Amino acid sequence: MALVTIKRNSPQHIAVRVLGVLLVVIAVLWVPTKMTTGNIDSMTNALALVIAASALNLVIGYTGLISIGHSAFFGIGSYATGVLVSKYGWGHGWSMIFGALLAFVFGFIVALPALRIKGIYLALVTLAVAVLFPTMMKWPKLEWLTNGARGISGIRYEELPSLPFLGELKGRDDRTVFFYWYAIMLVIITVLVCRGIVKSRMGRALIAIRDNEIGAEVMGVNLATTKTLVFGVSAALTSLAGSLSVARTGVVTADGANLTLIGSIVFLVVMVVGGAATITGPIIGALVYVWVDNYTRTASASGEGLIGWLFDWSAVSPASIILSVALIVLMFVAPDGVFGLVRRLARRVVVIK
Amino acid sequence: MSRFFQYLFDGLSSGAIYSLLALCLVVVYRGTGYLNFAQGEMSMFCTFLVWKLNDWGMPLWLAAISGMLIGYLGGATVETTLIRPVAKRSQFAVFVVAIGLFLGLNSLAGAIWGAPPQETMPSLFPNEPDDFQRIFGASWRYQSIGILIVGLVVTGLLFALFNKTRFGLAMRAVASNADSARLVGVNTGRVLAASWGLAAAIGALAGTMVAGTTGEVVPGLMFSYFVYASAAATLGGFDSLGGAVIAGLTIGVVENMAAGYAPKWIGQEMRLGVALLIILGVLLIKPTGLFGEQKVSRV
Repeated sequence: MALVTIKRNSPQHIAVRVLGVLLVVIAVLWVPTKMTTGNIDSMTNALALVIAASALNLVIGYTGLISIGHSAFFGIGSYATGVLVSKYGWGHGWSMIFGALLAFVFGFIVALPALRIKGIYLALVTLAVAVLFPTMMKWPKLEWLTNGARGISGIRYEELPSLPFLGELKGRDDRTVFFYWYAIMLVIITVLVCRGIVKSRMGRALIAIRDNEIGAEVMGVNLATTKTLVFGVSAALTSLAGSLSVARTGVVTADGANLTLIGSIVFLVVMVVGGAATITGPIIGALVYVWVDNYTRTASASGEGLIGWLFDWSAVSPASIILSVALIVLMFVAPDGVFGLVRRLARRVVVIK
Repeated sequence: MSRFFQYLFDGLSSGAIYSLLALCLVVVYRGTGYLNFAQGEMSMFCTFLVWKLNDWGMPLWLAAISGMLIGYLGGATVETTLIRPVAKRSQFAVFVVAIGLFLGLNSLAGAIWGAPPQETMPSLFPNEPDDFQRIFGASWRYQSIGILIVGLVVTGLLFALFNKTRFGLAMRAVASNADSARLVGVNTGRVLAASWGLAAAIGALAGTMVAGTTGEVVPGLMFSYFVYASAAATLGGFDSLGGAVIAGLTIGVVENMAAGYAPKWIGQEMRLGVALLIILGVLLIKPTGLFGEQKVSRV
């Protein structure tokens, strides 16, 4: 039995929620003002993963459609920005919007087989998409557009605005801070879109499809529209993360980070570690992922601490090994991820009725 | 004509590998109903072990057999300890565990043996530059002939195992209805573990042959082969052994012909694209594949 019981919408409940929001706002403000440049950069990286994992969560967590093809949508965003900015002189913002529209259409098309097939077969289609995408981008016939295996460079976002509350933005540190806020803006958009979908009629339809597809259809859910639409929205959101990373680094190659199948797996790991079918899960998952990645990289390089001692024999950073073990262990002890585990433990102390 | 025979023969040889891996996928799918996403990485890891044993001075054929045995034990262990406990919960949990295995084995191989290790892997078959036979104007390398023969022999043995032995009967019973099989006294747990072990062992053999052709073992060794194999399993219908073999050989021949006759459009880069278009096409037009059975489900 819980120690404390709080009534929903009572003053205490509202106070707890306001406190939560305040903590998040403080954390968001604390990062760019107090952290080192390298750490702010890692946080921006984590925020891009938050976007992709939240988008993936819509498809896998809420609708139960297995996709390992989201790296392709990430790539569509990256390449849309890369090609339009470097070859056609578009602005970054417009290229991002175009990329999202393009990804929406592609997501819609990829979901079409999902109307007839389920489970592993859909996973296979998305596998095909994930593997085909880098191959297509390196295809000699498309070289006039994508520069083949060399990729596109020189797409960096240079005209940093001077906003009143950020001050003049120049130099390396200010660039990092700018992209942090850029990423925060996109994360807010993503979280609002996901929350809006999940809390709406469509969200109930998605969960109904996941829990019992035939039952959902009988209750009047239009399977075709719902599945294709959620896939399209998810693809569009993932492409935002792709555009963001290109604007930040200024280069895109077909085998770059997050564009290959490994990218899809990273999104999946972030989503599952954080907690599937929750809004907060992907955020926690991305922070855990980036922290583990950075910590093990430095620890194994310097050979210090438990990680450095344990993985002394390892030729490369053991981050992937630790994460994959964590993934399997989580499936046994907490299938609802870190957030689910924390929530279950918290409910032993506080219950909101 | 000699070009045609060359492409045909090269296609059959690579198709034999696709068939072998597709058989692994089908054996696991028939038993448990899951696609083993870690199949390619399991065979890659076993191939590293084979290479290491050979490196320590064991003759290659003995190393390959030991690798298959280790693969069998490893596969069966994975099924009993990692897959079965979460299989009760959901298919998604099995998928996540398989992805975990994929990532884990891949990075473990990279961590133990360096990234990327450029190791010399000997071949099971004669592999000198002049080890070939000219038939119909095409050069038939002994290496490729060997792969084709091993592929056919393993397929034959699997068919015999499934259709002629008591164990095969139990496997087919579990595939058709696991609950009824358990009721009539089939030890379903042992059958499932054995099918994973069998798949891992065949995968180890396929991996050793693949590494023999390229001469090196790398963590990404089996990745494209896994994609081809899943294309073959899809085309053949996921529950048909014969379908997987025929589809594997077909895909091998088709992609070699496509790459050979359309070097500008397809060439070496888009070979994988052919296999993936086959997956997409089959699933859109006939999701059960050529030889698969339609699953009927109760509401």
